[in-house]
Amino acid sequence: MTLMLWSSRTKERRATILAGLILLQTVSALFFIGDVIADLRGGTPLDNPHVLIETVASVVLISGVIFMMIELRSLLSRMSDMQSGLDIARGHLGEVIGDFFHAWKLTAAERDVAIMILKGLDNDTIASMRNTAPGTVRAQATGIYAKSGTTGRAQFISLFMEELMSGELDPDAQSNPKAEARGPRPLPDSARAS
Amino acid sequence: MVALEQTDRGQHGAREIPVWDPLVRLIHWSLALTILLNGAVVEDESLAHEWIGYVALGLVALRAIWALAGPKHARFSAFPPSPRRALVHLGRLLSGERRVHLSHNPLGALMVYNIWLSVIALGVTGYMMTTPAYFGIDWVEELHEVVFGWLILSVALHVAGVAFESWWSGVNLVRAMVNGRKTIPPGSNVE
Repeated sequence: MTLMLWSSRTKERRATILAGLILLQTVSALFFIGDVIADLRGGTPLDNPHVLIETVASVVLISGVIFMMIELRSLLSRMSDMQSGLDIARGHLGEVIGDFFHAWKLTAAERDVAIMILKGLDNDTIASMRNTAPGTVRAQATGIYAKSGTTGRAQFISLFMEELMSGELDPDAQSNPKAEARGPRPLPDSARAS
Repeated sequence: MVALEQTDRGQHGAREIPVWDPLVRLIHWSLALTILLNGAVVEDESLAHEWIGYVALGLVALRAIWALAGPKHARFSAFPPSPRRALVHLGRLLSGERRVHLSHNPLGALMVYNIWLSVIALGVTGYMMTTPAYFGIDWVEELHEVVFGWLILSVALHVAGVAFESWWSGVNLVRAMVNGRKTIPPGSNVE
């Protein structure tokens, strides 16, 4: 995740630099074009070396601007693809988690505790966040592991990791086929976050 | 379930959507700077005034090209100049219906075209004053002055519109033009 964020920040910086270059280079190109026009109107012939060089410079600068615009365009579309990919993955994970909780018939309190476990909180922190005794949280956690058929925290968390890494995360599929194969019914519409 | 929704949508259920790409933002603030410099800082008949004017023309030209070839939100098609849509939008405002627009809202779109056209008109009349054929001709100079007055009025309206829309829709538009992202409050009607 950190790696993803870092690379998206780098992309953003690259996009900003590209945009700045496009802007400055356009202004430079306009300067040369304006100078060529002024020279030609002043009666300088087109084959004058000064005018010739400025014409070539204008063409090169404009080509550079067009090229950088294409680059920026594709960089921006890659950035937005990655963002929507992340959104889809997040949405999917949320759905898969919801499907599992539903299938395991977790109570509302157990769902909350289960989510905090998935987020990496330990029992004491969960207890203080929920204003309950650590013993209660331990009991709820045991209930969660029993209902999910896992032996403990590590295996419980890896259930979802496995779900993410088992491939075939098809962005267009509405729900995860594996989760369905295991039996959970789809969530009611009201619980589906979109 | 509450906690799960938070994992889905991020803090407080607000969504951040990247809208303005860096080129759009740079052009916007550069154009604002050229208007400020030429309107209030630089001497009217100086060489700097001329050059800043040409830079402003170049910025609008570049923005127009980007509106044809750029990404989705930067394109003309994202904010077509449509008085009909502007009227519909105005009707919605009056009836109290709040709606978030990812690109410019229809009224704002008209203001965008208005400001660009004003800058082009200023640039053209300004250039005409430097040519022998039109130098010292009164109507050119008067037109330049009138369009400048119109541009300043437009900029004031633009700033007021941004302030109003930010308050009305709950999306901080100034920040969106700085970091490129619109933070959409939960439950917003997005268009």
